[in-house]
Amino acid sequence: MTLSFFDQFMSPSLLGIPLMALALTLPWTLFPAPTPRWLHNRLLALQNWFIGRFAQELLLPLSPAGHKWAMLFASLMLYLISLNMLGLLPYTFTPTTQLSLNLGLAVPLWLATVIIGMRNQPTIALGHLLPEGTPTLLIPVLIIIETISLFIRPIALGVRLTANLTAGHLLIQLIATAAFVLLPLMPTVAVLTGALLFLLTLLEVAVAMIQAYVFVLLLSLYLQENV
Amino acid sequence: MPQLNPSPWFAILVFSWLVLLVVIPPKVVAHTFPKEPTLQSAEKPKTEPWNWPWH
Repeated sequence: MTLSFFDQFMSPSLLGIPLMALALTLPWTLFPAPTPRWLHNRLLALQNWFIGRFAQELLLPLSPAGHKWAMLFASLMLYLISLNMLGLLPYTFTPTTQLSLNLGLAVPLWLATVIIGMRNQPTIALGHLLPEGTPTLLIPVLIIIETISLFIRPIALGVRLTANLTAGHLLIQLIATAAFVLLPLMPTVAVLTGALLFLLTLLEVAVAMIQAYVFVLLLSLYLQENV
Repeated sequence: MPQLNPSPWFAILVFSWLVLLVVIPPKVVAHTFPKEPTLQSAEKPKTEPWNWPWH
């Protein structure tokens, strides 16, 4: 079986231990649980600031009923951003490149927002399927279109995260291979490719953070419509 | 594409949700946010002069 570039995304296992389990459990050692002390160390101070500011900014447009989701959103954000960022280190496995994980997060959470909307305010939730000011003749068509877009949301949410991270990792591997192969043949081109690799890695760091943020932001928007 | 391989998908699903629900929320909830100390206003309160005796 020849090695292809996609093989980096296979769930790896070392000596029978699925490394997915390690990749999902070890990052949380970087987040110590704070004690009731007033003053902690620098790391906890930074994490405290991040969680507080993030929750504040995210919950700003939500009505008070949506503030119950604060813990879930903060946990989800920490989860995604640390998995994404740690995956950029060499030889680490990124669990968020697995479609099973991303769809498994996106579909239940989206479904939860829809069910909450349908139970508590069904008229308003269904009213989102028809934007204001549509011409009368277009109403049936637009309802169909809006329903389709509603049901595409969980798929888009999951696949967006998967595709962005997978594409990024693939690009890094491709360009790194190119730089490595070109080194004995055309050193100048190899150095330029190395510079491109450096810029790409910076981009991937940004993409890792942005994609985690977009995931949680979109979920909060779906909640905002329904709560 | 290896991501489309269905064999570990259920285990990944369950394990990832387990971590998200069991491991992280206690760490998040344990963060407390003390009230910010309010700065004392820089302007001095306006005092009006009074020229009548104490009583």
